[in-house]
Amino acid sequence: MRKTVLIVEDEFLIAMDLKLLLERSGWYVLGPAATVEEALELLDDELPAVALLDVTLRDGSVTRLAEALCERNVPFVVASAYSRPELIGGEILAGAPTVGKPTEERLLIAVLEKAVRS
Amino acid sequence: MNLEDLYRLLRNGHVEAQGIIDTVPDPLLVLDQNLCVRTASRAFFTFFKVDRDETIGQHIYDLGDRQWDIPELRRLLEEVIPKSTAVVDYEVEHDFPSIGRRTMLVSARRLFHPDNNSRTLLLSIVDATERRQHEAEKDVLLGELRHRMKNLLGLVQAIARQTTAAGRSGEEYRDAFLGRFNALVQAHEAAYAQEGEADLQEVLERTLEPYSAGPTGVLVESGPAVPLASKQIMTLSLILHELATNAIKYGALSIPEGQVRVRWAVAEASAPHLRLVWQESGGPAVAPPASSGFGTQLIEFAVSRELGGRVELNYQPAGLVVEIVAPLGSVS
Repeated sequence: MRKTVLIVEDEFLIAMDLKLLLERSGWYVLGPAATVEEALELLDDELPAVALLDVTLRDGSVTRLAEALCERNVPFVVASAYSRPELIGGEILAGAPTVGKPTEERLLIAVLEKAVRS
Repeated sequence: MNLEDLYRLLRNGHVEAQGIIDTVPDPLLVLDQNLCVRTASRAFFTFFKVDRDETIGQHIYDLGDRQWDIPELRRLLEEVIPKSTAVVDYEVEHDFPSIGRRTMLVSARRLFHPDNNSRTLLLSIVDATERRQHEAEKDVLLGELRHRMKNLLGLVQAIARQTTAAGRSGEEYRDAFLGRFNALVQAHEAAYAQEGEADLQEVLERTLEPYSAGPTGVLVESGPAVPLASKQIMTLSLILHELATNAIKYGALSIPEGQVRVRWAVAEASAPHLRLVWQESGGPAVAPPASSGFGTQLIEFAVSRELGGRVELNYQPAGLVVEIVAPLGSVS
């Protein structure tokens, strides 16, 4: 199966970095999406194996997208500078694996791969 | 000493004692062993909007429509105080009918008496509502600051990771990284130094100033006023840095005779668009690079994602021509 990851991040340099480093590690990247709307549209075309989410996006909190991912059984990993993303993005983010920001490359890949396996 | 003198002496003593109590700015209550109010301070009456007659002699729980009959306070008075000589700053949050929801710090001490172990209590009540609000606001602010710092570190990490290292010496990598790092610092400075907006001309001149020395170099032509938001300033500064660095390495700025002209126009079509042109001339013959490096990707990504526009890089024999077209006004 193709390792696909949807990247949702509104800071363009960080979005680029994540995209390039994941592509180098053999992932096929959907996005990066900078808004919830954009990400939801991408989901209509193709469901990724996993999604990597920033918590606050240009059109608000990622909550609605996280709910949509849950409904479609797509696991997600949170990459945020907030130490407790659920305080900003709501309960739907509680318990989701987090990789923090700045994001360490090896940790990111390990957590994504684990999320896809589980 | 006659009786009248004695009375005056006692009265003066009493007035002075009450005066001391009434001067303390925080509400005070003196309670007897049955928790009935013996004395209340002026601050207590004014703060809780009650009068003397409905206060003195009353049981504390019966005061002001039982507004002090608070489970937390009951626990404090009935369980904590009998076992200790003083309780300091016990936090009570309560909806008071007359003054609304408040956070009170209640301190209770046994009233000092030289002879016996007094069972009279001195209760002081400090309204900490505003202080608590300030603390909460400060926490939010600090959290936000922490968040922004980590985001900024994330940006630095991104350019450190994506600046090409393969085939370069340590020095070359360091210079390339620091070039971008400085661009990021300056872009940040330009975007946030003067709250809000700056004009395109100003941003171009300031960002390209280091490359504009002498008759050649970068020439910024005059154009119409285009106000930019902080996010756009940041993006544009980073794009300009990539273009200038590239011109110094491979393009018109790699030789003294080369020149770059930057000009722009606003197209008032259905929605106003900015058309910004970076035109190199007089440099070595150029050819499109075999693969697009991080710099080129950064420019393309920044224009499409951040400015909502499109960019064309034309490697013409006379020099690179970059054309950026982006909508104005509605850019996020």
